[in-house]
Amino acid sequence: MTGFADRGAAPDSTVTYAFAVCRGEDASGAPLPPGLSAGAPVRALRFGALTAIVQEVPAADFTEEVWRRRLSDRAEVERCARAHHAVVTAVARFRPTVPLALCTLYRDDWRAIEALGRDEARFAEVLDRVAGHVEWGVKVYVRPEEHASGPDGATGATPRPAPGAAARGSAGGPAPGAGRAYLAERRERQRSRVRRHEETLRDADVVDTTLRGLASAARRLQPQHQELTGDPRPQILNAAYLVAQERTAELSAAVTALRRRVGAHIEVTGPWVPYSFAGEV
Amino acid sequence: MSDVDYRQGVATAPGPGTANLADILERVLDKGIVIAGDIKIDLLDIELLTIRLRLFVSSVDTARKAGIDWWETDPALSSRAAQCALREENAQLRHRVAALEAGDAESGTAAEREA
Repeated sequence: MTGFADRGAAPDSTVTYAFAVCRGEDASGAPLPPGLSAGAPVRALRFGALTAIVQEVPAADFTEEVWRRRLSDRAEVERCARAHHAVVTAVARFRPTVPLALCTLYRDDWRAIEALGRDEARFAEVLDRVAGHVEWGVKVYVRPEEHASGPDGATGATPRPAPGAAARGSAGGPAPGAGRAYLAERRERQRSRVRRHEETLRDADVVDTTLRGLASAARRLQPQHQELTGDPRPQILNAAYLVAQERTAELSAAVTALRRRVGAHIEVTGPWVPYSFAGEV
Repeated sequence: MSDVDYRQGVATAPGPGTANLADILERVLDKGIVIAGDIKIDLLDIELLTIRLRLFVSSVDTARKAGIDWWETDPALSSRAAQCALREENAQLRHRVAALEAGDAESGTAAEREA
């Protein structure tokens, strides 16, 4: 992190970074991960009836300018996102937890207590909603055969029929129906591509509708770009479901049945702390 | 979370270390409760854009290393490509003129029909 230090801030001043808010008087019960800075431990900070999980971090490392640079460095982004996520996950293991967005910062503990305290009712409401629940991420990918075939069909470079081959059976020139047969084949390929596309969208709807039936709440997220996932298959559904812990087996059975029923590939991630259900409903 | 046993039957149960970066980013940046902090770092404005841009740029770099340079030869994307296309057409025309002048029109027509 030193490489990103900002000359503007005093070298030794610190700010309070807030990771999450949870119920309970203290956050003891589990060792907490190191967080975002090596200098100070991640700790609990009481405000009202709730507890914030915070860490003192060097002010110079947490300015907008530093983050602007940091965010174009994939390794740094990954390190920070994982460090934040690790703390949130560790806290949520033992109590209902509301994750805060990455980079929620206060000048000091007192400011954090004051500011978070103003939203105590809102936190309490979210904690009630997510208590006893976990978030499951479900993604549906385009059916493999659809992705494998480019706009021109499976090989992408369909050669024109060689004159000799097309003329087989006739004497000399191209067979009379060769052109029309070629066009018919192109049309058929186009039709089957459209058909597969529609089937895939239907798969996504079936998956979403089925899982919504089991969930206390559901959100459709933006499908992830292939550059970001590194997966060559386009994603057609990216959804999050807030599911009661006692319905986990039901969810598992539903996904197994869906996998048998639909042709598309279904990926399940979780259990997540209910990040996607912490904001406004 | 520890009392959720979902491991048999359905895929992954990512711990903090194993979940994929795209999934984590979309949650820690976009989700989570947004509370006004003291220090304004408006990640939603700057970051997703930056990241996507970066990732795109790096994939272009990868493509270039692999010898794929469509953005340099597609006339819609590059003026250099447009010049390339003109030069090529020019060369073909010169070749055709030379062929005609040599009285070899037959092979030229055949080549054209084939092209």
